[in-house]
Parts: sequence; C-alpha cells; structure tokens
Amino acid sequence: MIRVTDLVKSHGTTPILRGVGLTVNVGEVTVLVGPSGGGKSTLLRCINGLETIDAGTVTAFGHTLHGTRGQPHPTAALLGLRRAVGMVFQQFHLFPHMSALGNVMAGQVHALGVPKAQAEATARELLARVGLADKANHTPAQLSGGQQQRVAIARTLAVSPRAILFDEPTSALDPVMAREVLAVIRDLAARGQTMVVVTHDMDLAREATVAHKMVAGRIVSSGRPSDVLAE
Amino acid sequence: MKTSPQKTRLRTATLVAVLFSLTAPPARAQELPPFRWGTDPTGGAPFNYQDAAGKPTGFEYELAGYLAAKLGRTPVMVAGDWSKLPEQLNKPAGVEKGVDVILNGYELRADLAAKYGVSRAYYAYRVALIVRTDQTVIRDWADLDGQRVGVLGGTVANDYLVRHHPGAKVQTNEDVANVVQLVADKRLAATVQDNPAATHFLKEFPTLKLAGEPVKAGYYVIYFRRADVELGRQLDAAIAAGLRDGTFRRIYAKYGLWNADQDELVGLLDQPWPPADLAAPAEAGNVWRRLLPQLFDAAGVTLMLAFGSFPLAMALGLLVAVGRVYGPRPLRVPLGVYVEVIRGTPLLLQLYAIFYMLPVFAERLIPGAAGYFTPFACGILGLALNYSAYEAENYRAGLLAVPRGQLEAALALGMSPGTAIRRIVVPQAVRLVIPPVTNDFIALFKDTSVCSVILITELTRKYNELYNFNRDLIVELVFLTAGLYLCMSYPLALLAGFLERRYATTGGRS
Repeated sequence: MIRVTDLVKSHGTTPILRGVGLTVNVGEVTVLVGPSGGGKSTLLRCINGLETIDAGTVTAFGHTLHGTRGQPHPTAALLGLRRAVGMVFQQFHLFPHMSALGNVMAGQVHALGVPKAQAEATARELLARVGLADKANHTPAQLSGGQQQRVAIARTLAVSPRAILFDEPTSALDPVMAREVLAVIRDLAARGQTMVVVTHDMDLAREATVAHKMVAGRIVSSGRPSDVLAE
Repeated sequence: MKTSPQKTRLRTATLVAVLFSLTAPPARAQELPPFRWGTDPTGGAPFNYQDAAGKPTGFEYELAGYLAAKLGRTPVMVAGDWSKLPEQLNKPAGVEKGVDVILNGYELRADLAAKYGVSRAYYAYRVALIVRTDQTVIRDWADLDGQRVGVLGGTVANDYLVRHHPGAKVQTNEDVANVVQLVADKRLAATVQDNPAATHFLKEFPTLKLAGEPVKAGYYVIYFRRADVELGRQLDAAIAAGLRDGTFRRIYAKYGLWNADQDELVGLLDQPWPPADLAAPAEAGNVWRRLLPQLFDAAGVTLMLAFGSFPLAMALGLLVAVGRVYGPRPLRVPLGVYVEVIRGTPLLLQLYAIFYMLPVFAERLIPGAAGYFTPFACGILGLALNYSAYEAENYRAGLLAVPRGQLEAALALGMSPGTAIRRIVVPQAVRLVIPPVTNDFIALFKDTSVCSVILITELTRKYNELYNFNRDLIVELVFLTAGLYLCMSYPLALLAGFLERRYATTGGRS
C-alpha cells in the first residue's frame, strides 16, 4: 500500500504540489489525470524519491520518506522504497551501452545481486512476456520507441517491485506503438499488478480502478474513472 | 697587391703594441667590434659562474677577458645552451645572440674540427670518476658495470663512458650540478666529470671523492667560423703567449686546475694543429649500425613512459571527475583546486618537484625512501599526475553529458547511487569522451620528451645525444626521430577511430 499525506513540493518559489493526499491499495490500478502542469509527474517522482519534498510524507510498503524542506532523503530509506516501487519513464531511459537483455538484467544484477545466469533466465522470460524475445541482443538504438518502452517495462518487472509507477508511458509514442505498450500494461493489470499511471490516454484511464484528477498541484476529484473523467 | 700573412701578423702585432702603449685604450677598443664569446653560464663553476657577490667569474671568464685584451676588443659574454653552442657559429656574429667564438669546455673533436675553425688547446683535461666517500662498491673505473652513472649529455665523458664501460647504466642530464647532487643523495652510484668540474664539486661536497685515477681525455679548444682565419691566428697567438708567459698557469692555479698535463700544451704548440691523428669521422654505414639500435631503444623507453603513465592518468582523472560531479562539497572544492593547480603549472616544473624535491622530504620521513624515486618512476608519476588533471576535465564533461534520466532510471531500479554511477553513468561518460581522451594520449606521447630533464633517455633526449656527436647527420636524425614518433602515434589515432566506432552510443532517445 502507498499512502501520500499532505505532500508539499516547490521548485524554488514556484509551488508544484500544495498538499496532496492519496492512497493506493494493493492490486489496484490508479490513474492520475488532468491538464499538463498540474503536478501529476512530480507526484509520481516524489513517490519514488526522485524529488526532494518540502513537507508531508510518502509511505510505501513500510518505507517512509518525510518532508525535509528540500534536503536530500536518507539513502537507506530511498533504497528500501525503490526496491518496493518501480518506475517506467515517458522517455524510457534505457541504458544505451547495454543490449535489451542487459537492460533487463541490470537491476537484478547490480541492485539485487542476483547471479548472472539466473538474471538472464528471468530477463529472457520477461522479454518474451512483452513480445520481444527475438530482440534480446539488440541495443536500444536498434529498437523502435514502442519496443524500447516494452523493454523498459520488462526491466522494471525484473526487480519484482510491489508497485510500478508509469509516468506518461505512451506520450512519446505514435498510436501504433502506444497500442503495443498499452497491451502490456493491460496484461499487467489483469495479473493484479499494483500500478499508478499518469496518462492522457482516456481509454486506459477508463479501465483503472480509481482515478484522481490533479489541477494546479491539488487533487480536485477522486473516484470511479467514469465519474472523474466525466467532469 | 697581396699582403703576406706574416706581414699582416706583424701589422696586427704593431697595432696591438700601439694600442697598449696608448694612455686611453678604451677609445681604441670601441673602434673594433666587441669580442663576443659564446658560453653556457648554467654550466657553472669553475668554468664560468657568479661569485658570492653575484659577479661573473671562472677560469674561462678570465680566459675570455685575457683573449679579448690581446685582441684589443671588449669581451661580451653571450649565453646559450651548451649542447647547441656550435650552431651559434652557423649564424653571422652580428645577429642577436651572435658570437665570434665558442669557449666553454668544448673538446677538440673530429666532427666539430671538420666544420669549424679550431684554436690551439687551452687546457688538457681528464675525466674523473666521482663517488660517495661512504661507499665501497666502486673503487675504480672497472667497478662501473651495472651501476647507475650520471653524466652531462653529449660530452666526451658521456661518450667515454659508453665506449669504455658499456656495462654501466648511463643516465644523462643537461645540468652538471643536478647530477652531482644526485650522487651525493645516493640516487646515482657515480658520476663522470671533466677534471675542472670534478675539482670544484669535490670542494663543494665533502661527502664525495674520486674513485681511481682521472683518465686523460682530450683538450679544450675554442671554435670559430672557418672563414675567420685571421681571428684564428690571433687566438692561437694569444693562447701561445698565455701558455708561455705563465698567464694561463696563474689563472688555472687560482681555481686549483693547474697540473702537469698543462705543461705538455707548450710542447704541442710546435706540432701541427689540429693533430693529424685526430680520429676521422666514422663512415656512414657504420654510424647507422651504431645509432639505429640506440634510437629504437629510446623509442621503447618513450613507449613505456606513455603506456605506463596514461592508464594511471585516466584512472586518477576519472576518480577526480566523479568526486567533482557527485561528491559532497568538502570533496569537490579540494578536487577543483587539484585540477587547477596541476593544469596551471608546467609539466617540467612538476617533474623537477617530483624528482628533485619530493625525495628529499621522503628521505626525512622514512630514511631510504629516496631510493624509490628512480627517474623512470618519477617520470611515470609526473606524467600521470599532470594528465590526470586534463582527463578529470574530460571525464567531468562526459559525466555531465550523460542524460540525468540515466541515473534516475538506475536509481529507480534500486541501485545505490555508487553502483548507479559506476555501472550506468561512468561507462557512458567514458565512451562519450573517447575522442578527447585519445587526443590527450597522443599529446602525452610527445610530452614524454620532457622526462629527459630527470635523466630519462627517451627518444628526444637520445636524438639530442646522438646529434651532439653526429652533427652532419642532423637532417637524417631529425626525420628519423620524427618518423619514429609518428610511427608510434599514428596507430594510436587509428585505434582511437576504431574505439569511437565500436563504442559509439547513438542511443537515440535515452
């Protein structure tokens, strides 16, 4: 379970989040919608500890980050949190000096200390699950955007996070490639993967368990996606 | 009408006599051009140096004064680099730093005598073997095998050592005083010096002594332009007069340099000069068989210096760069200072500091530590430190060029910051800066030549040495040496190109 309470975050003097509260239950798919600049991506990055926070708390599966008035979080707290919560980025951020297989192995080997042979077996399995078994030895530069994002999802799955944060996973993709990625995300939802998804894709949003609409750093409405999106 | 040489000499003698009888000789001296004599004042005592009051002195300084007076001209000292003094004669006397003669412990040598006018000998010298008083290993010349022996590069002492004691590890330096100091500091086993320098240094260093008997080596002469026949005659006459009337004896005795060898010079005045048995220059085929292996060996030293130091520079540079980009502020500041200090001071000075200064401090802390500061080790260390600063800046640029998202993606996978930097950011940064880093490696390759100041005989130093004895081969030697550098650095350029293509990360959207 992820619980965010009274989260306040600003960049310099510009407030980004003005007291956000949110609960994500295990097995649920939560979507964050709303106009650009509303703070959706920042909220996601705060949950993963990629941003410092001014006030409030983020608790995820027993790991808590406190408001630090912009100071860096303690490394131990960050490590614990990030091993519980994975993240998929809008721009994929695949490691360009590794093959697709190497990317999916990287977290297992370098973060979890999984033996290479075992990591490779897991990686091949996951690449197959996202439909890229035949691209294992391709470098990111040799893959299309949709393929890159699917590798990125496999890479995150490989470290077995209890929840995955998706930051506009299809915004950088054309509709055809977006469909490939959405299929993977739907498959994860069907398997009961806990997810928080920032998206502008209305179809995906409608399939979520809960939707929150964010405007100007606040959650302005929460509830069933059909209700929230109808406003 | 042709004037016979005798007549000219007579007339000159008359002129000189008249000149000396005049009450105001300076007025006359002003009409003749000054007597510009080339020397290297850094060669030091007892040749030509400054006394405690800062006044120039030395037996050659006095000799030049005597000769100028005999010629009725004003002596003007022209300073130059010792090994390049003869080249001063290739230019006219009137140009800046132009000289009429060179007078600085230059030996009578066949190759120089073939090219320049050569005066009568003004000093018969020996080469002396100097060691510390507290050692017993080297008792005589025969004990030099396997010992590290320092000499002034390009001198007869250098040549003598190479020819007669091939077993000795000869280390050459441009500065006599440095070499002697290194023997006193136990960092060289011995040094071979001309007896005038030896006499001086034995006085200055009570911990040093002679080993074996000094060996007769040759004569100091004055070189001048071949065309200046008249000047040569005047010099010879002045030298002959000085030897006969005791002027030279008085000057030499003042510096403790008078000995029985000098008496023979008077006898030589009646012999043809230069002597007919002066060794003829070796024929070309032979010369190259002797020179080429030496050049190749020296090229090997250059290679070892470059390949020994650059990996260290890269490793150190990378650590410094990571510290500057990701380290805490208390670390970033001193690392920044490190880079600026190393980048902002000359490599030459750093090598001096490492080789001449550092061992003195080290020895004070740990007796015996100075022994580890061998020229080669100091060369590697100096080059590595110097280039680490440049590599640190290259890698810093590389680290900053890796998109922030890469680090975030690695952190989001649960990697610790250290692992994320080491496994994800650094490998990409290193690939990004392959071109500038290789560029620096090629630059370092050529900077290895600076190591010659700390007694390392690498390619450029060897070129200089060989050139000293084979001045006619300057064109061949220059092109050969340059060619060797090119043969070594061009493959590096090719390797760089290969690495760039191999590790190109055209990663598109990362």
